[in-house]
Amino acid sequence: MRALRLAILAGGIALGVEAYRVQIDNLGPHTTPERSWAIVIGAWLFLVAGLVAWSRRPTNRLGPLMAAAGVALLLRQLRYSHDSFLFSVFFVVGELSYWTVAQAVFAYPSGRTTDRAERALIKVGYAVTFVFTVAILVFYDGSKPLRFFDPTRRDSLINIAGHGDVAVTLQKAFVISVWGVLAAAAIVLLIRKLVRATPRARRMLAPLLIAAITVALRAVFESVFTFVQQPSNTILFDYLFWWQIGAFIALPLALLAGLLRARLARASVGDLVLELEGTPPQGIGPALARALGDRTLEVLYWLPERSRYVDTSGRAVELPKYADRAVTRLQHEGQPLAALVHDPSLLEEPKLVEAAGAAARLALENARLQAETRAQLEEVRDSRVRIVNAADEERRRIERDIHDGAQQRLVALALQLRTAQRRLRDDSDPEVDSLLAAAVGELQVAVEELRELARGVHPAILTEDGLAAALESLVSRSPFPIELDADEGRLPAPVEATAYFVACEALANVVKHSGATNAKISAQRQNGLLVVTVEDDGVGGAQTNNGSGLRGLVDRVEALGGRLRVESPTGGGTRVVGEIPCAS
Amino acid sequence: MVIRPALCDDWNVQLTVLIVDDHPAFRASARTLLEDEGYEVVGEAEDGESGLRLARTLEPDLVLLDIALPDLSGLEVAERLSDAPSKVLLTSSRRPSDLGPRLRNSSALGFISKDDLSGETLEALLRERA
Repeated sequence: MRALRLAILAGGIALGVEAYRVQIDNLGPHTTPERSWAIVIGAWLFLVAGLVAWSRRPTNRLGPLMAAAGVALLLRQLRYSHDSFLFSVFFVVGELSYWTVAQAVFAYPSGRTTDRAERALIKVGYAVTFVFTVAILVFYDGSKPLRFFDPTRRDSLINIAGHGDVAVTLQKAFVISVWGVLAAAAIVLLIRKLVRATPRARRMLAPLLIAAITVALRAVFESVFTFVQQPSNTILFDYLFWWQIGAFIALPLALLAGLLRARLARASVGDLVLELEGTPPQGIGPALARALGDRTLEVLYWLPERSRYVDTSGRAVELPKYADRAVTRLQHEGQPLAALVHDPSLLEEPKLVEAAGAAARLALENARLQAETRAQLEEVRDSRVRIVNAADEERRRIERDIHDGAQQRLVALALQLRTAQRRLRDDSDPEVDSLLAAAVGELQVAVEELRELARGVHPAILTEDGLAAALESLVSRSPFPIELDADEGRLPAPVEATAYFVACEALANVVKHSGATNAKISAQRQNGLLVVTVEDDGVGGAQTNNGSGLRGLVDRVEALGGRLRVESPTGGGTRVVGEIPCAS
Repeated sequence: MVIRPALCDDWNVQLTVLIVDDHPAFRASARTLLEDEGYEVVGEAEDGESGLRLARTLEPDLVLLDIALPDLSGLEVAERLSDAPSKVLLTSSRRPSDLGPRLRNSSALGFISKDDLSGETLEALLRERA
């Protein structure tokens, strides 16, 4: 294959020199050495870019296609020869070269044109060009000069009908239909390709497609001259010529740039191994994204025990099922390791993705283990929250049961005894009266104790009126005045309950152990946290690990992702601070 | 002897009462107690909606209204009865301090704990708020 490519290159160089000679020798004042060389160099660039692409990716048809376009562009120049054979053959074959270029552009980067409209355009382009050029030669008798040619008469080998005016008219129709209509259709399809591309594919395609659009625009411009008098201004012609050459040279350069980008990407994949050494798990995704040139790339880790993918933080994630995202599953020793969710354009470079996956394998394995640990922690955290919530719900239920059951019955009993007492007051034994009075008194004590019990389990005011009202109620029952500063407004029930029980337990400790004369409770929202603080001027020395009841609250606060601090220097008062996330 | 409770200056009028509470035992005990104390219990309701309906139909002098009802809150019922001729007394087996600011802001005439309910406490409250 290498020999074949070298032979094509050598042939192409020779052909280029010959194409230059044909132009200079036959077009006379209609060309200059600069122009002739520019056309040859443009075609050579196609050839070289095609051969490089062919050698880099032997299975991709794009390389041979680009090389063929380069050769066809060189052959096209042979049509200017005054030799009737060269003129006749390359007048037809040479004009097809533009469709080979179009085919290569539409096939970039996969080498295949999959879009129906694009395939149809290329087929129609080849067919119409072939039919028109053959038809022109059938009528061309040399009596009228052809457009773009010097006035010297040439002989068509298939001049059968011999009618110069028809030949010129057919050439006009050819320019309008192929260079005007079909080139305009090509522009529409190129713009559509650019608009529909995913962001990464658009970045890759943009230079090539913009160059192609510029070439096609130039062709459309040329077709306009079939309707208007051709301008005699040579500067304008110069301008149009160099526009065409510039855009034509840009096409293979854009292709080479694409190839170079792929080489750079492979080089950065090579650097991945070094880069990933010591990179934390959350840095792996961005490193792979940089190496593969896809900013949207995400890494998901497979957890075999749970049979699901998780992200770096351990949260379960479903693989996307939409066409605008593609998934590459990475395996190690036949077992799933991770999945890369990326731009679909990367599917065209499976070797690159595979190489990146292999380079990152060790780091991915470590990250997967960490993600697994995080997933377990996440589950434990969720489970703690569920336990706290279930316990709160149970407390609320017990409070309701006490209130609706025993408490109501005792209240009704107290009222009945009070009625009996009243009815017997005038004519009963004073002892019975005093017994009834004692029973009513006992019942009231029992009701009060039950009320205390229900309140301690879960105060109804907390459920119905929120934290501020519940703290106000708590403070109102304190044996000494307590300053209260609590934000109004409701928060999620677990947050309110946790803050309340922190305040309640801390206040109970103040009353029982601190010997304080002043205390203050505050509950404020700060930066997504509810900060509940209980401080006193007592003896201090409180700890969370001495069975003070604060230990259980530390667990409770941490279950919600918060923390509880106790600052209690001996003799310096106590300050209990609970910080509970409350952003939801 | 029947004490004539007063809601207004006419001491000889027997006051009519509607009891709204979802606990039948409380309604029965309260009815007996209040009737013994000289009130005329004209109706009972077990939830907020029927309490509202009866209060508007019977137009009692007094509505003894539990705060925790199965459908509406007693505080809401009191609010909706604020334009009715009846005076509303809220009750609960909880203490006022357990009921929060909504009780303080209620349009009801007053509050009496269920276990404190008696002719004397009712009379005292009515006199105080008259």
